[in-house]
Amino acid sequence: MRVLAIDTALGACSAGVFEAGDNEPLARETIPMERGHAEALLPLIDRLVSHVDGGFESLDRVAVTVGPGSYTGLRVGISAARGIGLAAGIPVVGVATLSAFLAPLMAGDSRGLFTSAIDAKHGHIYIQAIAFGGKVIIAPSLMSYRDAIRVLGSGPLLIAGTAAALLAAEARAQGVEAHVIEDSPAPDIAWVARLGAIADPANALPKPLYLREPDAKPQDGARIARR
Amino acid sequence: MRILGIETTCDETAASVVSTGFDGRGEILSNEVLSQIAEHARYGGVVPEIAARAHVEVIDRLIARALKNADCTIKDLDGIAVAAGPGLIGGVLVGLTTAKAISLVTRKPLMAVNHLEAHALTARLTDGIGFPYLLLLASGGHTQLVAVRGVGDYVRIGTTIDDAIGEAFDKVAKLLGLPYPGGPYVEIEARKGNPERFALPRPMMGRAEPNFSLSGLKTALRLEAEKIAPLTPSDVADLCASFQAAVVDMVVDRARVGLRAFRDIAGDPKAIVVAGGVAANQALRDALQRFAVETGLRMVAPPLALCGDNGAMIAWAGLERLRLGLVDDISAPARARWPLDSTRDEAGAKA
Repeated sequence: MRVLAIDTALGACSAGVFEAGDNEPLARETIPMERGHAEALLPLIDRLVSHVDGGFESLDRVAVTVGPGSYTGLRVGISAARGIGLAAGIPVVGVATLSAFLAPLMAGDSRGLFTSAIDAKHGHIYIQAIAFGGKVIIAPSLMSYRDAIRVLGSGPLLIAGTAAALLAAEARAQGVEAHVIEDSPAPDIAWVARLGAIADPANALPKPLYLREPDAKPQDGARIARR
Repeated sequence: MRILGIETTCDETAASVVSTGFDGRGEILSNEVLSQIAEHARYGGVVPEIAARAHVEVIDRLIARALKNADCTIKDLDGIAVAAGPGLIGGVLVGLTTAKAISLVTRKPLMAVNHLEAHALTARLTDGIGFPYLLLLASGGHTQLVAVRGVGDYVRIGTTIDDAIGEAFDKVAKLLGLPYPGGPYVEIEARKGNPERFALPRPMMGRAEPNFSLSGLKTALRLEAEKIAPLTPSDVADLCASFQAAVVDMVVDRARVGLRAFRDIAGDPKAIVVAGGVAANQALRDALQRFAVETGLRMVAPPLALCGDNGAMIAWAGLERLRLGLVDDISAPARARWPLDSTRDEAGAKA
């Protein structure tokens, strides 16, 4: 199965074309960036796919990170993925950024509490944690650092994600053993592709996973009294 | 020629397929609009983040539906047009990115259309009128008099110095406790009311520059309302009628001044055209029709379904641009602000 993987949810604009089971990508490119994903993504995909024999017609599916992450960034990636899926007539699957950080930890040799943590600003993180053996300790959630450490318990924590270093520091400050395995600004696009290849398109919908309600308050307004 | 049009600049997600008939006029093959009114109602206005979230949920399915209802596939298209602004940037990015992706995969031309230009050219889609014409563009976000001299050739004659007309209608509705979005409800109330009960000001009347101002009128209405509060249903109707009458008087006066300015810039107009959501207001249409008769001009107002934001006008503007070879590529920027008469190479917004 040939997968086009796209990630614009965090600190990179990243895409790759992978043949499931192969170790080497057919093409991949990652540009670190905090802003500007919207301008960079389609030209990047254009460059990649032009290096792949068969072009868009050879793709079997599109995998895209759905967050949590930058609202605008993940909407850019999802819009592009859905547009490509529609035009090429292929399924589009969503991959959570938290899962894309967790998967390589769980595939590694180390034992501990596998934790992915993404900076959510204002003293909070998006977090997911799975124990060795597969038990879910924290389902994808928005939490303060302090609450996260409380729920994670005694460790040792194996942490990946953009907030890995900060979470590890907070853990150690509270006497919990913690190791930063990976703290790159965005997930490895190869893992997005791997998870996308095995995802079921009926369940892994390319819908944003915000984990936070929009910041808006209902108004009563300065309405004038009516009889 | 068949063009897909995509619109996501505010609170409607819209997609449409438009083709050209034998006489060069447009033929709307499908026109799908999903309004987000219910999602914004409790906030009393459009919340940008809620709008962007709603667009991305439905955009691809809505395009698929527009294609299906036009009885065609993506392969049958000659180009993809999308509103690249002006508007709420989060929503614009959803539509623009989707359109770019479709253009990239299919290698079909992309037209990054100015939303205001699409409103401006709608009268050519529906009535096939020639250039030049005087356009009154009035919606919740825009109030402008424009000399439309050709595709891509617009001169703004006047604009509002504060609120847009549609915005003022919505604010009045909110003040009087009418449902959201308030413009149409103000019009319904106005029909039952006495427009002469409250002597509201006609801002800008008689001024030589064809600009608009709404905020003083809105304040005057609030003061009148506060004086007689609590309001009975007939008070509300009279307030709405008096407000609408003041707006209509101002618009006709501004159009008269604008027409003089038009003749200096573009010669004799072929028509007076009204477009945008406020063009759905019947009192305004009637008054402009009388003004047009008085000046010997034809008045063109789009059918109600094409007054508000829609994909057909985007598709048509894209079609007009493609006919002239005015195409864009996948580097086209999304623009929160994009004046109609500006050059196209201003810096775009960053995501």
